[in-house]
Amino acid sequence: MKFGLFYELSTPRPFTRETQKAVYENAIAQAVLADELGFSSVWCVEHHFLEEYSHASCPDMFLAAIARETTQIRLGFGIATCVPALHHPIRLAEKAAFLDMLSGGRVEFGTGRSSTWNELAGFNAGVDDTKRNWDEYCRVIPQMWMNERYGYAGTYHTMPERNVLPKPWQDPHPPLWVAVTGHGTELDAADRGMGALILSIADVERNIPRFEAYRERVKKCEPVGAFVNDQIAVANWLFCHQDGSYARQRGEEMVTIFGYMAGQTVEISEAYPASNYTAIGLLGSLRPDPHSAGEHKLPPSGLCFGDPATLIDTVRRWEAAGADQLLFMVQARETIAHEEVMDSLRLFAREVMPHFSAHRPARAAAVGAR
Amino acid sequence: MKAELLYGQRAAADYCDRSPAIDVSLTEEVALQNVQVHYALFEVPMQVTLECLPASLHPAIPAHLGMTFWRCDSGPLGAFECAWVGLACRTGIKPRHLIQAAYVTRADVGDWLQHRYGFDFQLADVHYRETYDRLQGRILHNGHTVLDTVTTQMQPVVGASAAVKYSPALNPARVNEQSLLVQMEASYAFKRVIRGTPQVLTFDAAALGDARIAPQYPMSGTHALVDITLHAPRFTADFTLPAEQGGAQKIAR
Repeated sequence: MKFGLFYELSTPRPFTRETQKAVYENAIAQAVLADELGFSSVWCVEHHFLEEYSHASCPDMFLAAIARETTQIRLGFGIATCVPALHHPIRLAEKAAFLDMLSGGRVEFGTGRSSTWNELAGFNAGVDDTKRNWDEYCRVIPQMWMNERYGYAGTYHTMPERNVLPKPWQDPHPPLWVAVTGHGTELDAADRGMGALILSIADVERNIPRFEAYRERVKKCEPVGAFVNDQIAVANWLFCHQDGSYARQRGEEMVTIFGYMAGQTVEISEAYPASNYTAIGLLGSLRPDPHSAGEHKLPPSGLCFGDPATLIDTVRRWEAAGADQLLFMVQARETIAHEEVMDSLRLFAREVMPHFSAHRPARAAAVGAR
Repeated sequence: MKAELLYGQRAAADYCDRSPAIDVSLTEEVALQNVQVHYALFEVPMQVTLECLPASLHPAIPAHLGMTFWRCDSGPLGAFECAWVGLACRTGIKPRHLIQAAYVTRADVGDWLQHRYGFDFQLADVHYRETYDRLQGRILHNGHTVLDTVTTQMQPVVGASAAVKYSPALNPARVNEQSLLVQMEASYAFKRVIRGTPQVLTFDAAALGDARIAPQYPMSGTHALVDITLHAPRFTADFTLPAEQGGAQKIAR
């Protein structure tokens, strides 16, 4: 089991320059500490216009800032939006390769297509074609990285032969991933030999069938890249504290705030009925029973809120279910004080991570601090 | 860091004055077969939306409104047509529409729906038709067109049962002498759905809830042939208690 951080860069109102800067600086400091503590990766979403929920419009810049202050932690696009109105595939290939070069080969390239009306309508993107857009992008981008010169005539883009520069540091290219929210997308990932970046936060047991389906399907994949990235990474939450009840209380606060922020966005399924957007994205997973409004809603069972012993058990359940990595959201709209987030990371690294063999050993000074 | 949250700004008194009484003891379900439903969504300016929503509700971002037309040719309520306009809002995660204005062709049906869900219907000529190339919804009130919307460039929607999600209506109503927001409760079995691009030809904003609201950007327009089951209302929400402290509450029966 490996552990990573996952950033939405949610930002509290009022949106002052100082607040915005603090959100970014705190997240970078946490990623730098995570690198020292032995976390394996830090990921950043790409979102546009999502007030409060995510002010992460330029994840490549965020990751580049982290790259230059860290030495080992991997840098994940979580995800790069593969929709023509937002990015040309050449630009995504260039940005990922550039970051890979600057970081000495630490990029994880997550792909996806956006699920909100805010974003797709904001860029006047065609909603009905996003899945086909994404499919074309994830086939041509690896070719741009692997071929000295490459040209193609696709459905959505055509380019004459060009040398897309730079090429990535990793040879032949960074690992490829797909964001998975709706059921079935894990199979799209498996068919293409891409890692499944599971972004729907749900009970451990509810994920087992989709993990199993992914593992079975990936055996027969036709990889879009040069290799199969047979990996399942699951987004989760983390707040680790010696007082388990305090940890759960603060954790549930974060989940509630996340629900409030995500709830105000307009999912495609609310705005524009389309057969390629039938899932309700991240929101469904935060609502165990859609008809239980007003009653006490229990968060999903696999969230990592608690004391170290509890979290060891929770991580073991994810491990037994088949997850290779847990990617933690550690903040929601700065509701947890930055120093408490740092302490939570240190405690998790010191008392939980050593129980799982695949994590990268921490530097002693970082773990022992505080 | 302490955050400011984005809530509606309208005084609760504005709603309480026009809240009809509803009877939550009516729990039998009513099935309407083969109803033609037109549902068109448009983005609207945020600030006006905030001024139209009560303090308990969050807006959707981007702010938008929905126009719903029902054409029912037969069934337990008889033949009728009705339409309502609502602003997208949130009491929690689930999308809802706060109804701004509602019109119906028959007073007895309007009374029935008002008694159940609090719709403040006005009698009007509501006219919704699907033709070979467009969907047209029109409301004529006292000889004056208050809403005329057309949806064109239609395409079929595959897997409609999963793809189409109508946001439930919220109406101000008095429940057991308490003024609350009451959520309409209905389930839908889709038989056929087509989707296109909606356009507003006439929008008398004052007659549709607030003179300052103007549809700005089309989102989608759908036509559905659907069996609708009307259920007893299950949820209410407060006008002033913030969603985080209140939200949708189950009606005690």
